[in-house]
Amino acid sequence: MKKLIAGAMLLGASSLAFAQPGCGVGAMIWKGQSGIAPHVLAATTNGTLGNQTFGMTTGTLGCNTNESIQSMAMYMDSNVDKVARDMSRGEGENLDTLAVLLNIDKADRPEFRKLMQDNFATIFPSSDTTSDQAVSAIVALMESHEGLSKYVA
Amino acid sequence: MQRRLMSGRTPRLLAAFCTLLCLSNAEASEPLEQLAHDPVWLNLGHYRPDLLGGYTSQADDDAFFLSPEGKDSPLAELKATLTAIQAPGSGDDHARCRFPARDQWLRTRLDMPAPPADCPAYETWRDELNTKTVTLVFAASYLNSPSSMFGHTFLRLDPADTRDRDADLLLASTVSYAADASAHDSEIMFAYRGIFGGYPGITSVKPYYEKIKLYSDIENRDLWEYRLNLTPEETDRLLAHAWEIRDKNFDYYFFDENCAYRLLALIDVARPGTQLLDEVNTHAIPSDTVRWVVDHDLVASVNYRPSSATVVAHYLEQLSPEQRDLAADLTEGSRTVDSPEIQALPDEDRAHVLDATYDYVRYEAHEEEWPRDRAAPLSYDLLKARSQIDDAEPLKQPPEPAVRDDQGHDTFRASVAGGRQGGRNFVQLTLRPAYHDVLDPPEGYRQGAQLQFLRLDTRYYTDKDELQLEKLIGVEIRSLSVRDRFFTPLSWQVGFGARRTDIESGNRVLTPYLDGGAGFGWATSDQSQIYAMGTGDLEIDDDLDKGYDLAPGADLGWLYQGHRVSVTGGVKSKAWLIGDGDREDIAYASLGWHLERNIGLSAGWERKHHFERYDTTWQIGINAYF
Repeated sequence: MKKLIAGAMLLGASSLAFAQPGCGVGAMIWKGQSGIAPHVLAATTNGTLGNQTFGMTTGTLGCNTNESIQSMAMYMDSNVDKVARDMSRGEGENLDTLAVLLNIDKADRPEFRKLMQDNFATIFPSSDTTSDQAVSAIVALMESHEGLSKYVA
Repeated sequence: MQRRLMSGRTPRLLAAFCTLLCLSNAEASEPLEQLAHDPVWLNLGHYRPDLLGGYTSQADDDAFFLSPEGKDSPLAELKATLTAIQAPGSGDDHARCRFPARDQWLRTRLDMPAPPADCPAYETWRDELNTKTVTLVFAASYLNSPSSMFGHTFLRLDPADTRDRDADLLLASTVSYAADASAHDSEIMFAYRGIFGGYPGITSVKPYYEKIKLYSDIENRDLWEYRLNLTPEETDRLLAHAWEIRDKNFDYYFFDENCAYRLLALIDVARPGTQLLDEVNTHAIPSDTVRWVVDHDLVASVNYRPSSATVVAHYLEQLSPEQRDLAADLTEGSRTVDSPEIQALPDEDRAHVLDATYDYVRYEAHEEEWPRDRAAPLSYDLLKARSQIDDAEPLKQPPEPAVRDDQGHDTFRASVAGGRQGGRNFVQLTLRPAYHDVLDPPEGYRQGAQLQFLRLDTRYYTDKDELQLEKLIGVEIRSLSVRDRFFTPLSWQVGFGARRTDIESGNRVLTPYLDGGAGFGWATSDQSQIYAMGTGDLEIDDDLDKGYDLAPGADLGWLYQGHRVSVTGGVKSKAWLIGDGDREDIAYASLGWHLERNIGLSAGWERKHHFERYDTTWQIGINAYF
């Protein structure tokens, strides 16, 4: 999965990568490509927070997980330190992007943002938290939240 | 426009025959010839006039052509396309699916029936891209990165349903064209092949958030987003053509057929009659191409997205001096988030300190390549402490600059000056194809940045009717940046070319040179700085004692860049080592007076002591920018 997105694909490659049977990656259609991009992406993984090793999310969540969670997981994997920053502040475009990927209605967004900020230490228990651990924690928090559980059902 | 409508009528009439008489009919070839030279068809095939009076396509990929002669013959390609799109069959490999933009245009122009084509791959691709509007994104230059100075452009495909504008745009796809330098070429090879060809150019699609990561977070470049005013039909056409070229190779050249160029071609296809490519002559500087797009009334609105570095600097500015001290202490590790001084701050102030510090740590960790075991625990502590403060008013985002990059002076400069050197009067003509120097109008350019390409100074000395090449700059880059407690960039410069140099006999001989320098700058106000540089000069010429000479030296000066006027002045000293070990001391002052965006006056004065004699040069002139 990591390769799918980090390898960032050339749009014209003959297969369209979003059609991954059983483990659809939702709206993510960016496929792999050799060239400058992988070097650049390699540099970005030198992030300040979150161990950006993906690949376990499908294992943790299973291939039957709904598509919006998988999209969210992919976004987290690629942007975990920015999402963490926004979560700590309870606002920001990366947090809003998570909400969009989870199809959370505008009306429920403030509740979502508050839940994420209040439980920052639960979602990221340490500086070594991986993005898939964070995703699992987010899903668990939402499942046990009355107003937000419907988005992860 | 008028002409195109007229010429459109003939083929349309004949099209009726065409469909009846079949395409191989000789009668059809004459009007088809006309059609093959229609600007729209030439754009669709990326045909440009060649030296032989014909046309050659810039596509360097057999898969882009349906005719074996397609590369050099718009007509052969048109005929082959007409045959292919009418061939029986369907599916992704059918010409209608491979070339939807050609198909659509030919059917309209020739009044051919257009039954819906069955193209699952193309349709899925389009549905996924889900594009309503198109935005041209310009990544501005960044001071300390010479290769970024021309900027970079790409297209963003904005989705139809904007439930949440910012978030949806982060997820929007972008289309860009870049050299595929996947081979592990050295920097020099990269430059060589970039200039003379040899790299395949590839059109690729990536999410906008990856682009932001690259330009905004890693390269610290502000982004300007120009939303184009394309109609739904034009947007469709742009996508259809993007599909046609998406995996086709177009060789990449830094100066003309570069990232910006291919996007202009896409826009030309989207809106026939625009002909942005006609603006390109020798080079397509991305910032110039943005100007053309603006000048052709293609822009509906503009949005500014500051880079991480710009945001951090602005955050730190909003802190009080005491809070800045705390931020520095937190960064250095001499205080932690639990220190009493931090805990004692009111909630909102503490939130501001933590936010600014986190963003600064993130920036520093990247710039200075902090090891993870330093960056990660500190980042984590800052975020965790921050998450315990609710409802704090966030720090303000940087304001949009009053003058956009595309609103700065034009990049080609011509200057005429009159002056006097060593008792001789002269008239000087200077041509500079690109790009900016520190005494040009500063708005729209980075402070302290200078990049000159192929600048030619020629002088006519009136006393002996003598015409002389005074200086030819190949490339000259200066990056004068200021240091403070939080940001500690190096100032540096490098250049090569040929210039007049004094020799002991008193003659001034034209000498190839290479020079460079590095040092520091400190702000003396928002618009001015002092700088101190260590320099090195190398000159190579027969007229020099040993055929070459080397000089370590120093340059100490002050630079002010204002809205109306820019000034620099200082002293330089060079110790020539190889000759007879003489020293060259120079005092200099120059001024640029900005009358309008594209016109200004200049004045320069220099007094030099070399070979036991003094020499004074001064000149005044006028600069015009095109």
